[in-house]
Formats: sequence, C-alpha cells, structure tokens
Amino acid sequence: MRRKYAAVGACLALVLVLAAAMPGAVLGASSGAVATGTRQITVGAWQAALIAIGYYLANSPWLFGLAFFTLYRPLVAGFFVGLILGDPAQGTLIGAAINVPYLGFISAGGTLPADAGFAGWVGTTVALASGFDPAKAVTIAFGLGLLGTIIFYGRMAIDSVFAHWADARAEKADIAGVALMNWLPGQLLLFVISFVPVFLFALNGPTYVQDALNRLPLWTVNGLVIAGGILPAIGIALNMRFIFRGSAVPYFFIGFILMTTTHGSISLVVVAAIGLALAYLHLSFVRPFPTSPATSPAIAAEAAATTGAAEPSDAGATTGAPAPAQGIRLTRGDLLKSWALWTFFAHANYSYERLQGTGFAHAMTPIIRRLYTTPEDIRAALQRHLVFFNTEPNFGNVVHGTVIAMEEQRANGAAIDDDAINSVKSGLMGPMAGIGDTLSQSTITPILLALGIGIAGGTASGTAVPTLSGATGNPLGAIIYMVLVSIVIVTIGYTAWMQGYARGRSFVTEILRSGTIDRVLIGAGVLGNIVLGALAANFVVVNLAPTVTIAGARMNLQAAIIDPLFPGALALGLVVMTWWLLRRRVSPLALLAVYLVFSIVAAYPFFGPGQANANDYSYGACTSSILHQYSPCGTPPAPSALP
Amino acid sequence: MSLRLVRIDDRLIHGQVVAVWLRALGARRIVIVDDASAHDEFLREVLTLAAPQGVPVEVHDVAGGAVRCIELAAAQEPVIVLARSPRTILSLRRAGVPIEVVDVGGMGSGPGRKRLHRTISVSPDELRELRELERLGTRVQIQIVADDRPIPLRSLDSGQ
Repeated sequence: MRRKYAAVGACLALVLVLAAAMPGAVLGASSGAVATGTRQITVGAWQAALIAIGYYLANSPWLFGLAFFTLYRPLVAGFFVGLILGDPAQGTLIGAAINVPYLGFISAGGTLPADAGFAGWVGTTVALASGFDPAKAVTIAFGLGLLGTIIFYGRMAIDSVFAHWADARAEKADIAGVALMNWLPGQLLLFVISFVPVFLFALNGPTYVQDALNRLPLWTVNGLVIAGGILPAIGIALNMRFIFRGSAVPYFFIGFILMTTTHGSISLVVVAAIGLALAYLHLSFVRPFPTSPATSPAIAAEAAATTGAAEPSDAGATTGAPAPAQGIRLTRGDLLKSWALWTFFAHANYSYERLQGTGFAHAMTPIIRRLYTTPEDIRAALQRHLVFFNTEPNFGNVVHGTVIAMEEQRANGAAIDDDAINSVKSGLMGPMAGIGDTLSQSTITPILLALGIGIAGGTASGTAVPTLSGATGNPLGAIIYMVLVSIVIVTIGYTAWMQGYARGRSFVTEILRSGTIDRVLIGAGVLGNIVLGALAANFVVVNLAPTVTIAGARMNLQAAIIDPLFPGALALGLVVMTWWLLRRRVSPLALLAVYLVFSIVAAYPFFGPGQANANDYSYGACTSSILHQYSPCGTPPAPSALP
Repeated sequence: MSLRLVRIDDRLIHGQVVAVWLRALGARRIVIVDDASAHDEFLREVLTLAAPQGVPVEVHDVAGGAVRCIELAAAQEPVIVLARSPRTILSLRRAGVPIEVVDVGGMGSGPGRKRLHRTISVSPDELRELRELERLGTRVQIQIVADDRPIPLRSLDSGQ
C-alpha cells in the first residue's frame, strides 16, 4: 500500500514532467496565461540548500523532539520557506492551504500515510517560486507528499542495520558507543536522503512544474485549482473520523455556520474562544463527569477481587517507594538528562526492526552510568533496553519513568528480574501509545493546527473574504501554532516522565481512573469540531458555474438560489459526504483520485468556449464548465469581497 | 460473523488499534485474549482503561476467551479480538472459535527472530503455528493498519 501511495505520487509527477516535455501544440495549449499577473521568484542555490536543510531538520531530532509537531507541518514549513524566499506572508498562506488535506494525518507505529513534511517544504517552494495561488499549490503538493514516503520507508529499512551496530557496542559494555550508534549513522543517512532530493526539487521543480502547466490546456489547469478547493474536504473528513461523534456533532455545524454567515469576517481566535466556552458548558451540563463506562464500579470491584493475584514484590517495587537511603540514588540531574536524551533522540534511529528500541537504550545511558559499575551489569542493562520498543513519545514517558524507578530499586538489591522490567515495558507501551496518540496526534495537534491555519489564511486584512485566492497570509498563524503545540507537548512529556518515576503504576491507574483524559478528550472534541467546521467553511470551495435564465435574468444556481438559503451548503455537503464515505471504508486514496478526476472533468468547457482565463478573478466573466474556480459564475461580488 | 478483526499484536492495544482500526471498522468492543494480562491485575486495568471512552475492553485468559469469542462471533456487535501470539489464536481456533482471517499486525524483532515484513518478525515456533493456522483453514495475512493492502503469509513464507 505504501508502494501504491508512492506510485500514485510518482505518476502525478510523471504526468507533469511528460507534459513539460511535450510540444505545446500537441495539447493545443495556451500561451503562458498561467503566469500572467503573478510574481515569480527564482530559487537560488543557497536558498534551495536552506530549504533542503529545513526539510532534514523537520525529520531530525535536533529540535527537542518537536520537529514532528512543528517544522514537519506544512503550515510551519510554508512560513520558513516564505522567509527563505523573501515572502513569509504568502509562504504561510500557501503552507496553511497545503496543510488542510493533512489535518487528519497520523503516523503510528512506523507507518506513514503520506509525507506531509515533503509536501510542505517542496510544495510551498514550487508554488511560491511559480507565483501559484494556494489552491493550485494544494493539488501539486499532495502529489509530492505521496512521493515523499519513499524517503521515510527507505530510512526505516536501513536504520535496522545501525541497531545491530548498537548491539555490538552493548556487547562490549560501551555506554557511549550505544548512544552514538543511536544518533550518528541514522542522522548521516537521513541527511543525505533528505537533503539531496529536496535540494534538487527546490532548485529545478518550479521550472518543471511551470513548463508542465504552461503546456496543459487551460481548462485542466482550472481543474487543478478547483481540486485545490475540493481536496481539503478529505483532510477535514479524515480528522472528523476522530472527533465528529456523539454529542459533539452539532458543534461542527455551529463552527461552519458562524464562519459562513459572517462572510468569514470572524477571526478563528474568536471562534476558538466561543468553542472553549461551549466546551466548558458541554462538560458541565451535557455530559456530567465522571460517568465513563470504563471506570464503572463493576470493573473496579472485579479488579479489586483479584488483587491477591499480583506478585507482592513486583507491586511494591513499582509504587515508587524510595530506595534505601544508603544505596545508590539517582539524582534529579540524571532524570532530567535521561528525559532530555529521550525527547531529543527517541526517533533518531527509527527502524522497522526496533522502532524506538535504540532510542530507549540511549535515554537509559545516564541511568545505567549511575547505577551499574561492573561490565557485566552494564552490558546486561544495555541489552535489556535495546530490544523492540515503541510508544507515543510524550504521554508514553510514563513507561520510562516507571522503568527507571525499577532499575534504581534493582541496583539497590530489590528482587526485580529482567522479566519484571520487560513486562512493564511491553505491557504498558501499547496502551500508553493508544492514549498518547489519541491525545497528541489525533486531538491536540489537529486542533492547534486548525487554529493556526485559520489565523494564517483568515482575514488578516479584516475585509477580504478568506477564500484561497483572496486572503493575505498571516505568519502569526504559524508562529502561534508552533509556540502552543511545543508548550503542550513538552508539558505532557515532562509530567509523564517525572510522575512515572515518582509514582509508577499508581500514577498510571490513578490518571486513567480519574477520567481526566476522557474529560480532556470530550472538551477537545467540542472545541475541535467548532474550529474544524469554521476551517471547512474557509478552505473547502465548491462553485457551480452554470447559469439559468429565469424571466430574462441570468442567474447562477448557487449564487442566486442555494447560497442565499444556506451559505456554503455545497461545501458542507461535500465535507459530510466525504466523512460518510470514509466511514464506509472507502479508501482516502481512492477518494483523492476520484475528486481529482472529477475536478478536472468539471472544469471542461462543455457548454461552449466561455471566457476561460485561469486568472480571471472578475465576477462577470464565466466559463461554461460545471464548476468554476474562485467564485460562482455571474455573481455580483459580495460587498465585503471588493478589493 | 461479528469478529471484525482477529489480530496478533504483541503490544495489544496501542495507537494503530485505537486511532486507526477501531475507527476504520466501527468496532464497539475490544476483546483481549492473553493469559499474562488476564492474570495481572494492573495490566488488566490499564488495558481496560486504555481504549477510548465508550468502547468496553474485556481481558480474558485463553480458556475464558475461547468461550467468549464463540459467543461474540454469533452476536451482532462488531468486535476486535487481540492476542499477543499465534499460539493463542491457534488455541482459540482449536477450541472452536470461527476465525476466517487472522491479521498479523505487530510482532517485534528479537534474538532468533526472522523478519517477514517491515515491523513483523517471527520465531521458528511462531511460523510453525501460523502455518498450522493456515492448514486449519484460517487465512493468515499481514496488514499493519487499515489502509494497508493485506499481504498473505503465503507470499512471504518461502519455506512452506
């Protein structure tokens, strides 16, 4: 399936390259109309190099483990590419648009549906350099994102080799060697396979893509723009799979209607504030806490009934009882060092074979150094922690904290064998990843991203309708997102680590029993639905072109009939339909292909030549296609949309 | 047939299961069959609490799990069954649980284990058990997340 994604990406790229190579006459294409009125930027070698380094950093450990939540996201990538190319506002706007289809993006347990980072860094570069509007960028970037998975899977395969190098170091009880093997070879490899393709793409991609588009018939280029308004529905619907449920459903529509009825003049920050207030009310009144079925008294009683089955030594060892005063104690510095090593290097050598296994061993190096002195003990400890391991690297830190406490007690003579430690690791890493991924990847990140994207692509000027073509980008969207997500993720990671160490198992059961996580998820669901609804109103664009003549007046179906009744009804319908199809297990990739083909077909001038100008923003002119880019045909401009 | 997914996964409940499979299948219950977890009060509680709110998790040992799975297979509710090892699935199959397809979703590497595909490794014993499942008429396939194309064991297992 990964190969299939990459194949589709490669096909999209190939079509563009072929089109570039074909003589314009064969396709009967137009004449550079694509570029009229747009500003092009030539990407210099040093700029391409900076962009390629940026993409490497997005996958690297060097940003305190936050790269995956920040630089990897197209919103943030767009901002930095914009800085490098000298137009951060437009870069942020393009990045924001490219990010929308990736709102439901999740990478769990070494799987990657598409490379959002590649789409963000390369997609923004191509679009910004070519002077494309964001809608066109969305479509092109999506193809690039599929192509980028090759880099991820190549790295996962080769990193397994370096895990064996770490094994060899462990055999020699070489603590520093294990640490080195976790980051150095994997990062050298990653740098090469990230830098080279992105550098070449950034340098030459814009020319290729421009040539290709110049040779395509104009209506197909319009089709790409139309697709740029339709593909975001897939990203929003993918994310809806997680939060558009139960009693939180109405909030999505509230968000959507808030945005459309105010013609987008309401700021996403205000929408989010309303969402927070509603989340509080929802938690207080709609769903009183705590009634989670998972914490029902029946289960608690059942659990209590079998308490005797737990091994006494094991239970005592992991409840965070302090080690004997005269034994070897870990210092706070050891704990912090270990936490920092993990936060930095958990994914430095991410491989199919061990996933975060070498990262775990690396994080344990300060602990092992403090606790064990004989080569035998050191070797055993290193080998114990080099095995397969994978969890969510923030909330999942509970596991590390607990394991460190166990190691400390073991070093002080407590009867804790390898099995006890392994069973805590292998028993906890899965459930903690389940909770952690739900929190960080499918709740916190998409909500904050939606907020950032809304600010970035919203009404910076306060007047323009925030469509893909009209808005001015606001770099603050990317900056606010980066700061917020970093604070939240680091806080979760630090708390889980320290509490896991201090209280071990009792912390895990306490936090799960308290229902705090459920409350956070429910509240976040309310907020997320409102923000997502508002975002759908901004970024999903469907414009019917055909006009009907009623009583001598030429009227557009959408502008004259549908939108006055329910503004944005078509876009809302598309989003809900996409969500429903995904629930019926239609593959997102199939939807992507169908929507893309549909957009291009819908741009064909079936009903006569029309005034098919790709950059015709004027409202009077109209193509004779089914869908129209930028606006419904024949509509007088809304007062607020006038420049 | 309401055993929507019977999955071998040495991490039992985690992100792929909770964030991907559960949603993709619309499953409403998770049944874990694992002797070690069933007999460890702490692990049992963690597993029970790790699924999203509203999705009940049951943890059974192999004997109890077989009875429960037969019962659930006949019922209407869509269920995901998770086990750590092929041996457990084989026991369930032999106890009469109707399993048409078993999904191999996570089997980590380790000493003496052979890599079959990406994150999937097997020991010689486990490979024998998987082959035995195939012989009993259960199709064995590797599918890590719902969007992956399932890969039949037969296409990876040259020694068969």
